[in-house]
Amino acid sequence: MQDLSFDRRAALDGIRTIAPLAVPGLPFGMVLGFLIRDEGIDRLAGWSSSWMMLAGASQLAALNLITEGASALVIIMSVLLINSRHAMYSAALRPKFAEYPAWFRFAAPYLLIDQMFAVASSASELEGSSLRYRMWHYLGAGALIWTIWQVSVGLGIFLGDVVREEWSLEFAVPLLFIGLLGLSLSNRPSIVAAIVATIVAVAGREMPQGSGLLLAIVLGVAAGGLAETATKRVSE
Amino acid sequence: MRLWLLFLACGLVTYATRASFIAAGDRIRLPEAVERALRYVGPAAFAAIAIPLVLGGDGLSEFSADVPRIIASLAAGLVILRWRSIPYSLVVGMCSLWLLDWIGL
Repeated sequence: MQDLSFDRRAALDGIRTIAPLAVPGLPFGMVLGFLIRDEGIDRLAGWSSSWMMLAGASQLAALNLITEGASALVIIMSVLLINSRHAMYSAALRPKFAEYPAWFRFAAPYLLIDQMFAVASSASELEGSSLRYRMWHYLGAGALIWTIWQVSVGLGIFLGDVVREEWSLEFAVPLLFIGLLGLSLSNRPSIVAAIVATIVAVAGREMPQGSGLLLAIVLGVAAGGLAETATKRVSE
Repeated sequence: MRLWLLFLACGLVTYATRASFIAAGDRIRLPEAVERALRYVGPAAFAAIAIPLVLGGDGLSEFSADVPRIIASLAAGLVILRWRSIPYSLVVGMCSLWLLDWIGL
């Protein structure tokens, strides 16, 4: 049995690595909280969506659909479609988690938001590290980003409209993803994957509830895999 | 009460997508080619999220496309490729946008 006891250094490293990725969630969470307040949605239930779902984009979509009076089935299916990319994250991380005991394999995915995937799949300090280190790194990062999300949505609900539109703080979200994209471009196949995914995502952005996004990721991944095979053949 | 159940259902659906492969662990074995291709989930997903956000709404959230945002995004992109630091790219991106808005581009 592996030693998986608490590793303070790992948890602090995880917190340090995720912190800059968690900051852009602050204005986004506050705007989401303000929407809950502004639309007259039950505040406690609205806030609870943050720990039940822990997913900004689909929480936003669900709230918009609720205010439009959509049926529960439509809302749940939309959330499923928007979050279907997380199944790709799950598949990509599966080998890294396979050696952990079942409780961690079931608990860890609760925290698997975009930033957590970026950290767990490619943070440089995780290369060649122990199972114990990686586990507490993940949990430290998750604890920080979870807390920031709950607090920011709560602030939006209880303080109201403090994020002024003219500050353009919501632009931090696209900037964050540009940053994550830049860090993920490590070789030629990754560039091919990004280009193909971009083309499909832009072409398919009118497709319902993020299904174009899922298609873009699937085709981007396939293109990356094919490009890798092709590069190998050329070099052999 | 109905609202709580609805959010709970949304949460379960979200968790199910994230847990799918990780929770299964070694009981799932994907073909090796698929396993290798999955290493490109990061660049594919982040590109597919980022670029439509910069260019204008993609169903995830509403952002209006305008020239200052595209220029600020390019500046942030250059910073991330050169210095590989998210804090730097956020600061440069936000400051570029504020500057471009201020000079009225």
